[in-house]
Amino acid sequence: MKVGVLSFAHVHAAGYATQLRDMAGVDVLCSDPDAASAAPGELRGPALAEQLGVAHVDSYQGLFEWGPDAVVVASENSRHRPLVELAAKHGVDVLCEKPLATTVEDGRAMVAACREAGVRLGVAYPVRFSPAYAALREAVRSGGTGSVLTVAGANNGSLPAGARAWFVDPELAGGGAMMDHTVHIADLLDDLFDGARAVDVYAQSNNLMYGGEVEVDTAGLVTIRYDNGAVATIDCSWSHPDHHPTWGGLELQLVGERATVEMDAFGQVVSGFDETNRRGVLLPWGTDLDGAMLRSFLFGGADEGAVQVADGEAGLRSLSIALAGYASARAGTPVPVG
Amino acid sequence: MPELAVGLIGAGGIARAHLPAWLELGAVVTVFTPDDSGADLAALHAEQGVRVARSLEELLAGSEAVDVCTPTHTHPEVAIAALRAGVHVACEKPLALRVEDVEEMIDEAERAGVLLFPAHVVRYFPEYAAMAEAVAGGAVGEPAVLRFTRTGSYPVWSPWFADPTLSGGLLVDQMIHDFDFARLLAGEVVRVHAHVRGHQQAPAPAGCVAAATAVLTHASGAISHVHGVWGLPDSQFRTTFRIAGRGGVLQHDSSRTKAFRVISQGEAAPGEGIPATNLTESPFLTELREFAAAVRGGPPPRVTARDGLEAVRIALAAAESDRSGRAVELGSRNKDDVQEVVAR
Repeated sequence: MKVGVLSFAHVHAAGYATQLRDMAGVDVLCSDPDAASAAPGELRGPALAEQLGVAHVDSYQGLFEWGPDAVVVASENSRHRPLVELAAKHGVDVLCEKPLATTVEDGRAMVAACREAGVRLGVAYPVRFSPAYAALREAVRSGGTGSVLTVAGANNGSLPAGARAWFVDPELAGGGAMMDHTVHIADLLDDLFDGARAVDVYAQSNNLMYGGEVEVDTAGLVTIRYDNGAVATIDCSWSHPDHHPTWGGLELQLVGERATVEMDAFGQVVSGFDETNRRGVLLPWGTDLDGAMLRSFLFGGADEGAVQVADGEAGLRSLSIALAGYASARAGTPVPVG
Repeated sequence: MPELAVGLIGAGGIARAHLPAWLELGAVVTVFTPDDSGADLAALHAEQGVRVARSLEELLAGSEAVDVCTPTHTHPEVAIAALRAGVHVACEKPLALRVEDVEEMIDEAERAGVLLFPAHVVRYFPEYAAMAEAVAGGAVGEPAVLRFTRTGSYPVWSPWFADPTLSGGLLVDQMIHDFDFARLLAGEVVRVHAHVRGHQQAPAPAGCVAAATAVLTHASGAISHVHGVWGLPDSQFRTTFRIAGRGGVLQHDSSRTKAFRVISQGEAAPGEGIPATNLTESPFLTELREFAAAVRGGPPPRVTARDGLEAVRIALAAAESDRSGRAVELGSRNKDDVQEVVAR
């Protein structure tokens, strides 16, 4: 199977390329023609490909001429659409980095293009493949928790501007922390609630931590009301310290009428302390979520009841929640989900 | 100096938690309730000198301070009677269920020149006190985003808790602890949004659950999330917080800080055989010691009547938001606006 990686803009691109490089039966080819547009000091293009030990081609056209069976789009958020449309035009299945786009208009166009071309559009929400999420999903879907009353979730990370400056560019990223970190938990709940829809969103945000350094929101709380009666609040803040040994994490507690359960997607770690470098150590040993997601997209899921890769429509729904969050934060009131 | 003469009003759960603290402090305690429960509680502690008063007037006449541990909806009547008698008042949280009632209580206290102390005991929990001191000292920089959770079993032991007209409900009765703390750390609150789910009416059947989520916006721009649960009967009491700013993060989860744990004890039921142990001083004792010292002219307690008022204001705004589905603005301190906010 031939799999292409389009752009190294996203911090996850190197991880995908490495996963695909090591995956039995997969050939990988990468292309990062916009590398020159990156901020100074960011390793991109052929240099990053060489470091990762993956092949690189200078143009997207060249990559599609290679005849990929599937591609992964890892460009900046607002630059997903042309690459997804290019994949659709070539009849190639495409897994797009999250969020699907930065506007509903772009998202709808991408979904339509893939549908018309008859290609699969997946959105990269790897936490769906967390065994902790699978257990939570089973607890809810089996009726073990009873009706869901509230969900309190937190997806905190450190400010990603150091690795890739475009994450704090309002145009390229479509926002800040609320765009980056609302959507993971919103997507989990989209899958978990199995057809229930978000009704309205109330959100508040600030940039108290990085005022003067970046222009986007760096802290946010997003409350989502669902038509199944549940209400969820997500802390989407980039409030994880820069020098902490991990990038952040994703946790949530779900209160049901018959049980309360909680998950920690990145909680399986050995912890310690590195005296030489005078810093804490956290060694993750849990499931490789990116790998599980890529395998599911490329080779199909285990069985029908298992978690599937988020499709374009699901990607559009989680994007709509983040966008409603921005509208709400501006208005100071709850706003309907468009 | 003679021992402090304390009138304990009420004989329910919180009165029973306060009474050992008062005895530890060497206070002479007299109990009053309108029913027989006060006499029963006093009889249990007769050997420690606890007596019962036959009327509120008798209690007030013999007390230097009273400790109001009655159901919330009765706080204004009881506290105002005590304040008018010139007696110092410690009053369980929430001070009252209407802003104007709290304001009247504060006016009466000022007129009488006595203390009105809102018993927000979380201020005296050592983990919260340590965090608050560190945050005040700049440990996280300016707080930007704060989270608090609080879980306990549904308070079915007393029927008034489940009735929002008597207790204020989950947002006002329980989550007010964290509203107060969020305001302590990040300053005045200007906007509140909240939703309550689950069972919130009397009677509360066994096994019912209520849960609520609230988002506060502070005048500084900081934002706070408060999640409260009145849970299933097997819910362990648990609190968590996470306070984040540019300068760092402070976090706590009470389920991970148990310094003494029973790992196995065969077929004995939990708590049987090996007794549960308080590993720190009871926060009720710390709280009431500070109040008692202030009554005797010592430094004022760390929680002021105005703190109690603002906590009520935030909690009532949260309840109003749940009813209306809208965010409630608290930006104005104009009295008419505030009354509009709390109008039912």
